Amino acid sequence: MNKSLLIIKREYLTRVRKKTFIISTIMFPLLYLLLIFGTGYIAKKTSKQLRVAVIDSSGLFDKRTVAESNLRDSSSYLEYVTANQDSVKQHFSSMGFDGYVVIPATDWRSEEHKVVLRTDKTHGIQSIVGVQNKLNSIWNNLKYQKLGIDEQTRATLDRNRISLEEENLQDKGANAGIASGVGYICAFLIYFILLIYGSQVMMGVMEEKTNRIAEVMVSSVRPFQLMLGKIIGISLVALTQFLLWIVFAFVIFNITKASGAGSNAVSGIVASAQDIFTRINIPLVLFCFGFYLLGGFFFYSSLYAAIGSAVNEDMREAQSLAFPVTMLVIFSIAIMTAAVSDPTGDLAFWGSIIPFSSPIVMMARVPFGVPGTVPWWQLALSMVLLIAGFVLTTWFAGKIYRTGILMYGKKPSWKEMAKWAFKRS
Amino acid sequence: MNNLLEARNLKKYFATQKAVDDISFSVAPGSIFGLLGPNGAGKTTLIRMITGIFFPDSGDILFEGKPFDALKDVERIGYMPEERGLYKKMKIGEQALYLAQLKGLSHSDATRLIRQWFVKLEMESWWNKKVEDLSKGMSQKLQFVTTVVHNPKLIILDEPFSGLDPVNSNVIKDEIFNLAKNGATILFSTHRMEQVEEICDHIVLVNKGKKILDATVKEARQQFKEGLFRIGFDGEPIVPDHPSYSVIKKEEQSVVVKIAEGYTSNTVLTALLQEGGAITSYNEILPSLNDIFIELVEGTPATRQFQNLTA
Repeated sequence: MNKSLLIIKREYLTRVRKKTFIISTIMFPLLYLLLIFGTGYIAKKTSKQLRVAVIDSSGLFDKRTVAESNLRDSSSYLEYVTANQDSVKQHFSSMGFDGYVVIPATDWRSEEHKVVLRTDKTHGIQSIVGVQNKLNSIWNNLKYQKLGIDEQTRATLDRNRISLEEENLQDKGANAGIASGVGYICAFLIYFILLIYGSQVMMGVMEEKTNRIAEVMVSSVRPFQLMLGKIIGISLVALTQFLLWIVFAFVIFNITKASGAGSNAVSGIVASAQDIFTRINIPLVLFCFGFYLLGGFFFYSSLYAAIGSAVNEDMREAQSLAFPVTMLVIFSIAIMTAAVSDPTGDLAFWGSIIPFSSPIVMMARVPFGVPGTVPWWQLALSMVLLIAGFVLTTWFAGKIYRTGILMYGKKPSWKEMAKWAFKRS
Repeated sequence: MNNLLEARNLKKYFATQKAVDDISFSVAPGSIFGLLGPNGAGKTTLIRMITGIFFPDSGDILFEGKPFDALKDVERIGYMPEERGLYKKMKIGEQALYLAQLKGLSHSDATRLIRQWFVKLEMESWWNKKVEDLSKGMSQKLQFVTTVVHNPKLIILDEPFSGLDPVNSNVIKDEIFNLAKNGATILFSTHRMEQVEEICDHIVLVNKGKKILDATVKEARQQFKEGLFRIGFDGEPIVPDHPSYSVIKKEEQSVVVKIAEGYTSNTVLTALLQEGGAITSYNEILPSLNDIFIELVEGTPATRQFQNLTA
């Protein structure tokens, strides 16, 4: 068997057979979902239901409207207080209130009404906004009454709105909401895979160096073969993991579709998933995802391999050398967030053309539609440049790797590594 | 006789030092060749050029009479570096199989040969163990097997006995002799001179990147002899003054003399015989390789281990 294949096979099998691979394949999607739903849940939970005493100096509020508002909206609790107003101001916390507001004696026609919520400790903005909204809804009802607006007119006022939706004439299926969602997910998946598997490449190279097997290996195969074998082997591990996730998602989707057709929540999810399938060019997105995943992986992991070959056993040395590379990946994510909100802007364009950020940024743009948002020539240029980019980094890394893998001693600087790269063999 | 390996004017300069500076030597097939030198003399660089890990800056390497082709010829070389290494998490059998296949063996040939070696070195039960479970001596044996399993023409061993107990040392030494007898050529790098004297046919001594000695073990000892003789007596030594020698050392039943220039050992013996002491033995004292090594290397500034190794 070809030696490169042997190396790829070993790198692949030793990783896929590990328990940690199986565990991480199952755990990662669960953790990812937990993170999304968990943070949503926690954010909801953390806004506290405030009990607020309402002291009315304007004479516009009354007990009934305040009590009614509590029924409509339970995010906070308001209580209309008439008796013992001064003692409420003094002892609100011992009376079970978090604070009190005094509605000033104000003319309801004036434009601004500043009301202060007085508390004995600082509360989160979410909780305060809840109280504000509630007071406003009471206030609105008051205004409607004063102005003599009946229920029907009110409904016309409240619900009768213009809603604006964008339709790209070159790509009628495009939907910015769905596209940015899919774009985000794709870009973050690539981001995670680049960082996680990139550092695996670095650790793998460091292992070979510190175990001193590197010298045995390079007496049988070219150093470049060894490096490339490792990178390809690990990229196949990443692909395997990704394919397993797709299979999981597909199976779960079909099970929920079949078993929970009756329930509203599930059919909502199914409908929105189908909406994604109809609005987005799934084969193209999948193809681009595969391409940018591999392209980006080769681009970055060869740099990580070069770093791994240059340092010794010390993990901190590796981290400090890897920091600039990791920063590039994180920087790409920052560009990506801007690109999603303005997918045809300059930043999005350059970010998706230049190789270091293109795997993440272009992948966030593609779901918006090709050629509607991303013209074919941009996609082609980005792909060609990414290929050229990883050929260059792999070549550069190969040179450093060849020298670094047999070099023990102090950590080289980037300058010395550049010297290794440019010296003749 | 055609040489198996010939190095001609090899040079390899690194940024701050001449690691190998114009070294030539040749290795006869089937011989055990010693490459000696103090730490940092350039041995490892020299070996790395022969194993195709480094390209020489200038000079040629001939392997079996043809220019050395790193890509093809590495399969006919087995190399055990001084800094040994194995993949810690791999099973021993798989590890050996992997390294053997990288040397060009097919899966089935590799399996068969590895099993043979494992039986020979009493390692059969190790197949499914992991490398990290092995003791240092055990992993050394495994490393030796992976070095020789593909029947290489040239076997390069860098300090093969370091870390081995005397029993395992002997096992490996016997295998080295066996391999040489079966036609393999062995290039043996060390600074343990007593082993060299025991094992090697021919030696090359390098220091500071230059070759300073190239001879068979016998020749070297002849070349560096100082005309010392030990004369054994039955009883108290009786040594008269005579111009043909000077006494170096007097012992209980023997003396060591140094023959003066212009005289032969026979003159000395005749002179001694005339005095009538009962002589029981008369031997020439040849220097050990250790003495030669120290004489040649000593005085050069404490080798080069503190130089900057940036390449």
